[in-house]
Amino acid sequence: MDRVLEIGGFAAGYCGRMFVQAGCEVVRVAAASLAPSEHGSTALDIYLHDGKRRIQTDDPKIIGELADRADVVVAETPAAEGLLDLGFDDWRAPVKAAITPFGRTGPKSNWSATPGTLLAMGGYTYLMGDSDRAPLTLPGHYAEFQSGGFAYLAANASRLAGEENVIDVGMFESVMALSQFTTVLWTCAGEIRSRHGNDFLYVSPSNLYRCADGWVYINITRDFWDALATAVERPELVIDPRFETNAGRMANREALHEILDEAFASLSTAEVLARATEYRFPCGELKTFDEVLQDPHLADRDFWQRVDGAHGRVASPRIGWRMDGSSPRPADVPEREQRHG
Amino acid sequence: MADGPLRGVRILDLTHVWAGPLGTRFLADLGAEVVKIEAPMGRGPRQFPVNETLGGWIDGGPDDEPWNRNAIFVKLQRNKRSVAIDLKTDAGRETFLRLVRVADVVIENFHSVTMSRLGLSYEVLAAENPSIIYVAMPGYGIEGPYSQRVAFGPAVEAMSGLSDVMGYGPDEPRNTAMALMDPVAAVSAAGGVVTALRRRKRTGKGAFVEMALHEAAVSFCGPWLIERQLGKPIERLANRHPKMEPHGVYPSAGADQWIAIACRDDDDWRALCSVVPGLDADADFATRRRDRSEIDAVISRWTSRREKRTAAGALQAADVPAGPVNTTPDMLSDPQTRERNFFVPLEPGPTSMPGNPIKMRGISSSDWTPCPNLGGDNAAVLKDWLDYSDEEIAELERSGVIVDRPPA
Repeated sequence: MDRVLEIGGFAAGYCGRMFVQAGCEVVRVAAASLAPSEHGSTALDIYLHDGKRRIQTDDPKIIGELADRADVVVAETPAAEGLLDLGFDDWRAPVKAAITPFGRTGPKSNWSATPGTLLAMGGYTYLMGDSDRAPLTLPGHYAEFQSGGFAYLAANASRLAGEENVIDVGMFESVMALSQFTTVLWTCAGEIRSRHGNDFLYVSPSNLYRCADGWVYINITRDFWDALATAVERPELVIDPRFETNAGRMANREALHEILDEAFASLSTAEVLARATEYRFPCGELKTFDEVLQDPHLADRDFWQRVDGAHGRVASPRIGWRMDGSSPRPADVPEREQRHG
Repeated sequence: MADGPLRGVRILDLTHVWAGPLGTRFLADLGAEVVKIEAPMGRGPRQFPVNETLGGWIDGGPDDEPWNRNAIFVKLQRNKRSVAIDLKTDAGRETFLRLVRVADVVIENFHSVTMSRLGLSYEVLAAENPSIIYVAMPGYGIEGPYSQRVAFGPAVEAMSGLSDVMGYGPDEPRNTAMALMDPVAAVSAAGGVVTALRRRKRTGKGAFVEMALHEAAVSFCGPWLIERQLGKPIERLANRHPKMEPHGVYPSAGADQWIAIACRDDDDWRALCSVVPGLDADADFATRRRDRSEIDAVISRWTSRREKRTAAGALQAADVPAGPVNTTPDMLSDPQTRERNFFVPLEPGPTSMPGNPIKMRGISSSDWTPCPNLGGDNAAVLKDWLDYSDEEIAELERSGVIVDRPPA
């Protein structure tokens, strides 16, 4: 198994977390000077760094010696020039991954960044929030975590091939690479994608609806329209000419939302979910974090990892994948096959 | 196909919609030989008819082959090959199993039971090729109380807890409304594939890899979930930040134009004060938090008179984290993306597509290939991988097992 040296902030930390979960030995070099504005927290520390060994230093000589003995080095700095200060280019580890906000080259390689500015520049922020208000940023560390994921992918690909390599991951580019149809909507249709609150808009109806005791999000592509209309006991909607096509539902979305608002208001979330499962359309209940922690599905699937420490015992989520030599047994066959995104 | 460290890795890609194809695109960009196994009925999410598109048409219109020109589909399939095969026929299933024998990875994001119904469960595939790595991406996992639910990214996002922190205020929860958890799952799935490949190289063992969209989403929210267990309050802060002040999205000159600005610490604040007049450089974090409304008003007055990129440039010159709230044309014209050739023109068109965020020796967009036509590699793959003769291929074509266009 690889010996991995991790240096820097949340992106490197996320990459290192993936290596830990894959069974590798990860040594984290932490120092305030390496990530001066990281704004960490105990929770982030538990989430990212459980299972790692840690060294507190910012001495380039010590870091260089550690890097020379590692199979993989993942180094994140607040700007490209920080890598040079660390001596990144001189390290002899066979695989070195640099994660910086804008990549190692280019006129903005030393620009300052935060998660919020990266999401803004990468095209995400403009799409989130209400059309008549300021766009909404996404809290948390999306740009960093996804960049850490890309670094993990590239480092493992190099190791698999037995190749030495130097990897350059820019968070700005990571965000742009993860655009949905935003870019082609412009390059192919000449439209700038816009924001519409909770309304996905381009697939209608896709929105958050208030039920008697909470909220549900439904996402109705073409194949699900008849099922939804049936489930909310409004079968006449299926033959309503305003709503026959996705384009029609988009054009008449206000009227449609009014109808669905009324339909959902008298139902509990449990009733809506039961109907969604029976009639087969995508629907999820809006959960708080406390509710997620109590989610019976996740408990049933043994999703949580227990982490003990000075903070006591907490449940930390697994990474996305799990790996076994055999597959679990699928549950009962549903009435219809469905795909998901 | 692209060259890269994953050259020689053969992947049979049965994924649809967004998360799966995006994940396999990352692998293709790194050199894996990704063969899309497509249904003859068409391509892309079956929920969208071939004559409808969410993201426009490549090269201006649907032409007479709309299934090959749907931009949202094409965007995800570069560097892949396409074999359109009817897996519901005996001959199609047998051909697929032969491909499995010489493949390294099979990846799908069907409902948990679909592959079993086709007689193509992991156990069946592993019997053909014990070292196969099978990646399943069911929405809620193969087992568990929600496993029968239908999963799409936006609905799964609601169940992750994210809306607890996203929104304009306590009574205004917001969803990203952009299927955020699909790209989260995509990156995770690609990571799972290379992890399994490395494990196989070490142990010789194949693997069943399960990558549930729901679990990827909840995992992404891990720090907040731990915060709650530590008794920390969680708030919807709109564009504010619990530890940065100021932190926001401010109006700039022009309609619906904005700029994001953040001060991570006192140094950033003093730098901001050197650019934006009317602010007290000595104000500490607590003071800035207390006087947030007044400070935001001063910043907004300054930003609203300036073009967003000009304002960001001025702030960055003083080392203040700031960035324009970009649209696609903004990103395409950004000097940084242009200098690093991030957007890649691919035929037909050519059409600019977002590139690969991984830069490393041995990979380059110069050898990328555009999205293949439906079934465009039927013969080539069956010959390359299975040594099928022309006669065998012709028979599969005659019987409709392999096709290069949807049925009329």
